[in-house]
Amino acid sequence: MAEALVIRNLSRRFGGLRAVQDLSFAVNEGETVALIGPNGAGKTTSFNLITGYYRPDAGSALAFGRELVGLRPHDICAHGLARTFQVARPFGKMTVLANVMTGAFLRDRRLDAARAQAHKAIDFVGLSAKADTAARDLTTIDQRRLELARALATQPRLLLLDEVMAGLNPAEIDQAVALIGKLSQRGLTILIVEHVMRAIMAVARHIVVLDHGLKIAEGAPKEVVQNRDVIRAYLGTAYAQVSSAGGSRC
Amino acid sequence: MLTTIVQAVVNGLLIGGIYALVSIGVTLIFGVVKIVNFAQGEFVMIGMYISYFLAARFGVDPLISLFVSMPLLFVIGVLLQHFLIRRVLALGDMPQIFLTFALSLLLVNMALLLFTADYRTVQTPYSETAIHLGGLYVPIAKLIAFAVAMMLSGLLGVFLRITDLGKAMRAAAQSRDVAMLMGINPDRVFGIAVGVALALAGAAGSLLMPFYPVYPLVGQVFVLMAFVAVVLGTLGNVTGALLASLMMGVAESLGIQFVGADSGLIVVFAMLLLTLAIRPKGLFGGWSR
Amino acid sequence: MQGALTSRGLWVCALAAAALALPLLISSGFVIDIFIRILLFALIGVAWNLMGGYAKQLSLGHAAYFGLGAYTSTILLIRFGVSPWIGMLAGGAVAMLASLPIGALCFRLRGPYFAIATIAIAQGLMLLFLKFRDFAWGAEGTTIPNLGQAPLMMQFESKAPYYYILLALLAVGLAITWRIERSWMGYYLVAVGEDEDAAEAVGVDSLLIKRNIYLLSAFLTALAGTFYVQYIYFIDPNTAFSFNVSVEAALVSIVGGIGALWGPVIGAVLLEATSALLQSWLGGGHGGVQLSVYSLILITVILWRPSGLIGVLTDAYGRVVRATAAYAQKAPLDG
Repeated sequence: MAEALVIRNLSRRFGGLRAVQDLSFAVNEGETVALIGPNGAGKTTSFNLITGYYRPDAGSALAFGRELVGLRPHDICAHGLARTFQVARPFGKMTVLANVMTGAFLRDRRLDAARAQAHKAIDFVGLSAKADTAARDLTTIDQRRLELARALATQPRLLLLDEVMAGLNPAEIDQAVALIGKLSQRGLTILIVEHVMRAIMAVARHIVVLDHGLKIAEGAPKEVVQNRDVIRAYLGTAYAQVSSAGGSRC
Repeated sequence: MLTTIVQAVVNGLLIGGIYALVSIGVTLIFGVVKIVNFAQGEFVMIGMYISYFLAARFGVDPLISLFVSMPLLFVIGVLLQHFLIRRVLALGDMPQIFLTFALSLLLVNMALLLFTADYRTVQTPYSETAIHLGGLYVPIAKLIAFAVAMMLSGLLGVFLRITDLGKAMRAAAQSRDVAMLMGINPDRVFGIAVGVALALAGAAGSLLMPFYPVYPLVGQVFVLMAFVAVVLGTLGNVTGALLASLMMGVAESLGIQFVGADSGLIVVFAMLLLTLAIRPKGLFGGWSR
Repeated sequence: MQGALTSRGLWVCALAAAALALPLLISSGFVIDIFIRILLFALIGVAWNLMGGYAKQLSLGHAAYFGLGAYTSTILLIRFGVSPWIGMLAGGAVAMLASLPIGALCFRLRGPYFAIATIAIAQGLMLLFLKFRDFAWGAEGTTIPNLGQAPLMMQFESKAPYYYILLALLAVGLAITWRIERSWMGYYLVAVGEDEDAAEAVGVDSLLIKRNIYLLSAFLTALAGTFYVQYIYFIDPNTAFSFNVSVEAALVSIVGGIGALWGPVIGAVLLEATSALLQSWLGGGHGGVQLSVYSLILITVILWRPSGLIGVLTDAYGRVVRATAAYAQKAPLDG
């Protein structure tokens, strides 16, 4: 299977803080990979490095064979990577439709084509009823739906989702998981940063675990969840010792 | 030759102290309240007019009038924050910029209406005197201004680092939300920040009066210097503003000495352009991309 | 929806007709002058609005391009005898060229510091032209030779032709804005204005967009500059690069409706009418009144209706429409 994204030795420090250290992993095409870790592990920073918002101090990020390091975010998006932000950033003044059309214009600058593309994305995330609402008047969750629709309108090959499940109730989590599943079925490669274990177990084929900027574990969900280092990172040494006595459930 | 250079440097440092008072005020407001006070120069002007009228009507020496101008401007600052600035904090860049900008316009033009464009000066016993230090000519009025400016800057630094209120201000500057969670009342902190900044501007005004004329547009000259110093010293960084102001003063003075009498502004622009081109985040700039 | 569109179109046609007929109905030179000032600042405002209103790049130094346009055409006219019609386009080209390095430098700063940098640039240009006697007459400036009625050299004996030229330029500016508003570029501009980083994330090349809109904005502003010299037959650095021009360029849009097509026009009408009223009440002697009033208006608008007065007008219009619709619906039941 071809590799959609290959991260090699990606590093970035901010003054004394080593936010991401020597990170390497790969995402195969069509796969959904989860990037997890305690707060401050460097997950969002990794996203920012990959999508061009920060320059890495070292390392490379190859997406569909092309080096991303040094490119500006809009070029990276044009190359097929779309991302959402942890805190949704809609264009408040514009309507939902206009927001998503802005994304659609990347592939086709004609108004009617963009509008059609936008409607498809809006329908997919379930915001059709609010297409003419101003983005700043949406609820937080709808703003997140909007963020996703806008990213999808750019017709990405690789989608980076940053904590889309934060604050959702179980029903909403199921809805989101279903959406992600559908996207995966369409062949979209997905890299998802998440804390909600239930969602990760449902969608991820492969998990990469970060702590303090370092990759501490990687593998199939079932293995990672039982990994001592992972448990220690999240819960502390005591729990790691407890778990070694016999599997643990998250 | 060396004497000329050293003299120019001394001149530059002395006026740099005044620039520092103005620019520290701007950077303090920017750091804590996150808005740029376009009207900072006008508060220097107000300080100057206060000192002027106290001197002209009651014979009060401008240095004494510091004790009037500073508290008065502090109160004005608190009121300004409470009634105007607070209302635009949530609105975004445009209203914030244009509010203080409109304030600046208003104050300049009201001053024009009330006081006309005439230049006014105050003569004190020490306005014309100077001390002679090994071939150097150091005007007393400017020396006093520099000394007081440095003292006030130092006091502010201590205040910010040691007192609870100062720490609260720095906390609010770094993250308003977290500061609120810690029980810090942002409005109170912002009010004090603006009050202090305006008090410093008022101090600059009073200190200037013995050797500088007051007229409605006087603030604009100082605020331009201050803004460049703030950018050069990195936005929000008080120490940076101080150092950059002194640098600007020296650069301006050297320019006047060796290039020409009105090269001061050219030097300012050159420094701004250089900063923008080479190190847009200033000397103490934080993380770049 | 259809009804609203046609009624909008009707309003525009009515306005256009009124605007065209105006000089024919008014004989007072003084009044025409007021309308010319309104059109002039509406044009500069439209130019500013493209950058400052839609893309939220708040320049307070647009006088730089006003002055460059004015000086380019004047230098070409006086030193080389080139017609100001061509000089106007040349001025626009010079302004566009200048906007490239200026933009490259200033766009590194966001928000208020961008504004400050633009002020500095305009001031810098003023200083430059104050110093340069060799090709630009220094501080005293120059008058342009009065050729009487010389349409090919953009000079006329009556005020009406000036009015129509400006009206045409404004119409062009509004048409360009209207087209952009409705195209992908309009969306990209607002996106950059709302959240530049988020815009980049969906493929918007924010630097390119800012650069391009700056080119257009500078061009249009320069045209206004050339017009102004031809109208008042005089130029000097203080007039050409006047901070007041920069301020009013921004003000008319902010007061009238920032980021709205008709915003600058509404703002220009309000501000210039106020200015004219003040002048006739108080005479010329009171320096500071006009700007004091402008700044009070600005503060009021910012605190009360930050998006500009156009919101007030559309609200009022909406209320009238709804009231008449409600009345029309009631009648059959009663009657």
